[in-house]
Amino acid sequence: MGSEAPRGLADADLVAKLVAGNHEALGELYDRYGGLAYAVALRVLGDPGRAEDAVQEAFVKIWNHAASFDARRGSLRTWLLASVRNRSVDYLRGRGAHERQELELQPAMAEAGPRSDPWHEVSLSLERSAVREAMSSLPAEQRHAVELAYFGGYSQREIADMTRVPLGTVKGRMRLGLEKLSSYLQGRGLVDV
Amino acid sequence: MSDHDELESSVAAWVLGALEAGEADLVRTHIEECASCRETVMRLTRAIGALPLDVAEITPPAGLRERILIAAAASPDTATATARTRFDTKEPRRTLGPTNLSSHRPSTMAVFAAVAAVVLALVVGLAAGDLIGRGTTASPTVVRSALVGHQGLAGARASVINLKGDGVALVDFSGLPQLDPGRVYEVWLITAAGRADPAGVFVPDSNGSKFVLVSKSLAGYTQMAITSEVGPSGAPAPTQNPELYGNLT
Repeated sequence: MGSEAPRGLADADLVAKLVAGNHEALGELYDRYGGLAYAVALRVLGDPGRAEDAVQEAFVKIWNHAASFDARRGSLRTWLLASVRNRSVDYLRGRGAHERQELELQPAMAEAGPRSDPWHEVSLSLERSAVREAMSSLPAEQRHAVELAYFGGYSQREIADMTRVPLGTVKGRMRLGLEKLSSYLQGRGLVDV
Repeated sequence: MSDHDELESSVAAWVLGALEAGEADLVRTHIEECASCRETVMRLTRAIGALPLDVAEITPPAGLRERILIAAAASPDTATATARTRFDTKEPRRTLGPTNLSSHRPSTMAVFAAVAAVVLALVVGLAAGDLIGRGTTASPTVVRSALVGHQGLAGARASVINLKGDGVALVDFSGLPQLDPGRVYEVWLITAAGRADPAGVFVPDSNGSKFVLVSKSLAGYTQMAITSEVGPSGAPAPTQNPELYGNLT
C-alpha cells in the first residue's frame, strides 16, 4: 500500500489523511473512538442494531466531510461524538438527518488550539474521569435535565411535561447545569473535551 | 422579560438541541446578532462536547469496523474522489496471479469444467435471473454485485463491492456454514471463457460471516464463485462444484 500507518497521529494529521482518502486513517479513527461512539449511540437508542447504523453514518460523514474539519473549533473526537449523538437522536425521533441543523459541523467553537496528542488514550481516560466527576457534582435535577435533552433527545417542553415542572425551571436547570459543567472542566484545563 | 432575555434563556436548550424547530430558528438568528449570547454558546458548547465522555465505553460489535470501512469506500464521495488511495484490511488473505490451467493436476479439469458449466448456465439464464448477479452500478468507479448460494450453501449470500479505481474488491459474506477442520473457503474469479483464477481464502466467523478483501482487479472476470478447499492455502483450481456464485457487473 505504501501509505504511512496513521497510529498516534494528531487530529490535524489524521484529518489530512482522511481528506486524502486514506482508509487506514478511518480505521485508526474507529480504533480510537469506535467504542465510545457505539456507547453513546447505544445510550441514546438502546438498540444495538440502530446504534450500529448511527455510528456507521457518523463515521462515513466524517469521512466524506473531513475537509471541513477546523481544529481551531474543536477536536476531531468532539465532532465525531456530536455527530454520533445527533444521528442517534434523529433515529430516535424518526427525523431525517437533513432536517437537523448541522451544528456538529462546527462543533465546539472553543478557542482551544489543535491538540498534538500521541497520549490520547491516557488523555481520554483522564478527561472521562473529570467529566464523570463533574457530572456527579451537579445537582440531580440539573443533571437529569441535561441528560434528558442530550441523551434522551427530548425538547425542553417535553422535559417540562415529563418532570411536571415549569418550562422556565427546565431552562434554568439546563443553563445552570451546563454552566457548572463548563466551569468545572475549564478549571481543570479541559477547554476542548 | 425582554426579547433578549427570553431568547437568552433558551440558549442552553438550543445548544443541547432541545428546542422545537421554530424556536431553534429564532434563537439561532438571535445568536448570530448577539455577541453576548454567542459567548454563552461557546462556553456551553464546551460542556456539550464533554457529555459523551460520561458514557462508559462499550466494545462495539465485531464487524462494525469493517462495515464502516466498506460503507466509506462505497460512499458517493469516495467514488468520485480522484485522490483516494487504496486501503487494506486486517483480513487474512492470499492473492494469487492468474492461474495457468494447463499446469493443474488432471483431476481439477473436471471440476473446472463444472465451473465453466456454471458460467454457461449464467449466460443462458438457466441459473435463473432472480438468483444471480443483478448488481447495480452505484457510480462509475464503485460497482456492486451479489453472490447467491445454492444446494449446500443455499442460505449463504455475499455482496461484492468492486472498487474499480483501486483495483480491489470487498466481499461481504453471510450465512456460510462452518467448515470442517482444515478446510477453507476459496474465492474464484472466472473469465468469460470459463477460466477460474484463485483470489483468496478465508474462514468465516462463528456467525458464518466474513469480510474479505480481494486485492486484485476484477477486470476481465465475469463471475465470482466460492468453493470449500483444503486449507490453509486452498487449491490452485477448484476441486468441487461452486455452490455460491454470481455475475460480476
